Amino acid sequence: MYLKSKLSWNVIIPAEILEVGGLMLQKAIIVRLMDEFASKKASKNLGYFMAVTSLEKIGEGKVREHTGDVLFPVEFGCLTFKMLRGEILEGVVDKILKHGVFLRCGPTDKVYLSHQKMADYKYVPGENPIFMNEKMSRIEKDTQVRFIVVGARYVEAEKEFQAVVSLEGDYLGPISQSSV
Amino acid sequence: MSGEEEENAAELKIGDEFLKAKCLMNCEVALILEHKYEQLQQMSDDPTTQISQVFEKSLQYVKRFSRYKNPDAVRQAREILSRYPLAEFELCVLGNLCPETVEEAIAMVPSIKNRGRALDEEAIEKMLNDLSLIKKFE
Repeated sequence: MYLKSKLSWNVIIPAEILEVGGLMLQKAIIVRLMDEFASKKASKNLGYFMAVTSLEKIGEGKVREHTGDVLFPVEFGCLTFKMLRGEILEGVVDKILKHGVFLRCGPTDKVYLSHQKMADYKYVPGENPIFMNEKMSRIEKDTQVRFIVVGARYVEAEKEFQAVVSLEGDYLGPISQSSV
Repeated sequence: MSGEEEENAAELKIGDEFLKAKCLMNCEVALILEHKYEQLQQMSDDPTTQISQVFEKSLQYVKRFSRYKNPDAVRQAREILSRYPLAEFELCVLGNLCPETVEEAIAMVPSIKNRGRALDEEAIEKMLNDLSLIKKFE
């Protein structure tokens, strides 16, 4: 689910840039904020950081003693994405492996659907392997699939979420391309 | 949320931030990110340095999974869903998945059938009909 959040961060502006003042200073703060936002990438609680959407307030700058850099508290609105346990989502098949498939969903491609969680589908090997059930419903690369999130965990080292998902439930499985 | 184990979106047991904060439908995110994408390209001479992978992948995703494309239809979809007693999270799941039948809607968002909700099957049916009308006239 995508979520609009409000955050307060500190942005550090190097002493050299401070001389310009006024609008240029504001622009420097925004650019620095957006860089940091993009490089932070994700957090356990909020999920993936998508984009800064609004600037609410730039507080009083505080000079740091040794460097002369100035630290500005900034309040801003942003867009985040997080997968929740029990949530039903749609994704696109990215990779087919013997024991399951990886799906892309939102900003992540670490969404794993194990063959155990789609028991009626059987692996069909070949140059382009697929999963298929008795009703000839196919799960292949680029198929759009509706699934339920069984669990999601945050891996700090990679700043990535890994999710395990399932097709066990009503109205889950491949969706026809025309309906989207 | 006291513990992660208890989280279950199907029963609307989700973190406070998701219950109170504003959730967004894919189609709304698509409008925001597309606008942002244009801004970023104007701001920087070398757009690739500004646009993160997370941003790019999400833009692709929400464009593909948006049920409503034009801004008016997106606004109307939220307006219709807002008439019903739905949590933000439920509203967005329905707007994203656009279930065709009451049974499908309840399978997608089981919490709307919880006892004490002022939402009977008739109301759900009307909601789904109104939503499908937007799609027809888009």
